[in-house]
Amino acid sequence: MNEKIQRQMFDFLNKKGIENFVGVPDSTMKYFIDQGIKKKKILIPTREEEAIGIAVGMIMSKSPSLVFMQNAGFGNSISTITSLVQLYKIPILFLIGWRGYLPNDAPEHTKFGQVQPKLLSILGIKSKVVTEKNWKENCVWALKQITKNNCCALIIRRDFHD
Amino acid sequence: MIRKEAIEIAAKEIGNFPIISANGYISRDLFESYEKKSNFYMIGSMGLASSIGLGVALKNSKKRVYIFDGDGNILMNLGSLVTIGALKATNIVHFVFDNSSHESTGGQPTPSSQIKIEKIAKAAGYTVFNTKTKKGLKNITKKNNHTKGPIMILVNVKKSNYVSKRVSLHPVEICNRFMNSIRKVSK
Repeated sequence: MNEKIQRQMFDFLNKKGIENFVGVPDSTMKYFIDQGIKKKKILIPTREEEAIGIAVGMIMSKSPSLVFMQNAGFGNSISTITSLVQLYKIPILFLIGWRGYLPNDAPEHTKFGQVQPKLLSILGIKSKVVTEKNWKENCVWALKQITKNNCCALIIRRDFHD
Repeated sequence: MIRKEAIEIAAKEIGNFPIISANGYISRDLFESYEKKSNFYMIGSMGLASSIGLGVALKNSKKRVYIFDGDGNILMNLGSLVTIGALKATNIVHFVFDNSSHESTGGQPTPSSQIKIEKIAKAAGYTVFNTKTKKGLKNITKKNNHTKGPIMILVNVKKSNYVSKRVSLHPVEICNRFMNSIRKVSK
């Protein structure tokens, strides 16, 4: 996803009521995060699970929050998602970078890149892949999910090499 | 002093303010000794009580927010001390009930008898108080109303065979009543 769309997507979500963006950075969404840093809306704790915990506290204070992370961090977070986010029905909007989407991405991402869609589905987390074409409608979908008190995930594919 | 006695003393002093309590026996002790709507009993996600507390504290900056942690819990999420310290969350009061063991799972040892949680917290920017006695705990809990946080109150407690009942509320109910209650709490 290009720089311009990433920045637009941040502004859109922020304008539509997401007040906090908490997470661990992923280069796949670096412009999204950079836009948030410029707007002073980004909080970067030490680990993804910590980010989820902080977002839970914020959401319970009636402040809608997004948690961003790479899919490796999503793997770290599975138990927290089942035993905190889903158990207490906390409507977190996740933004997850899909490393290992391209078959020749760095080797440490290959396995997780393959199992990620199945994992999301097994866990019962509704998700949509955002692209340069569909990002707005999928953001609207995600915002609707959280107003219905469901957590959900938007996925950004790693569609480039560096 | 055993953990449940310490939790009861601290919770009574805190009164109506929000408390985020760690999983295992800590939440069970709080549920049994001082049940109230502004208690958030974290029954899973070990280690994250301090992170949830931070989220609440950042969004309610004029209220004191209390965290009831254990040594095993905070050792699982030491990064949280760094984040809380770096953000200078002045309204956080972070209790750690330290018995150097994972008591809820059978009393297995934690390394808190060999390393000093106190020093780690101080390095992260906390003001730390220590106590072993009921009187000390009562005084420190009262006194912290005038100290700028983040504050850690490290309470040395003894192991015990006493087991509090499980938290019988549904997690969604815990969440909903906590959300409704924190709006109403005032200093």
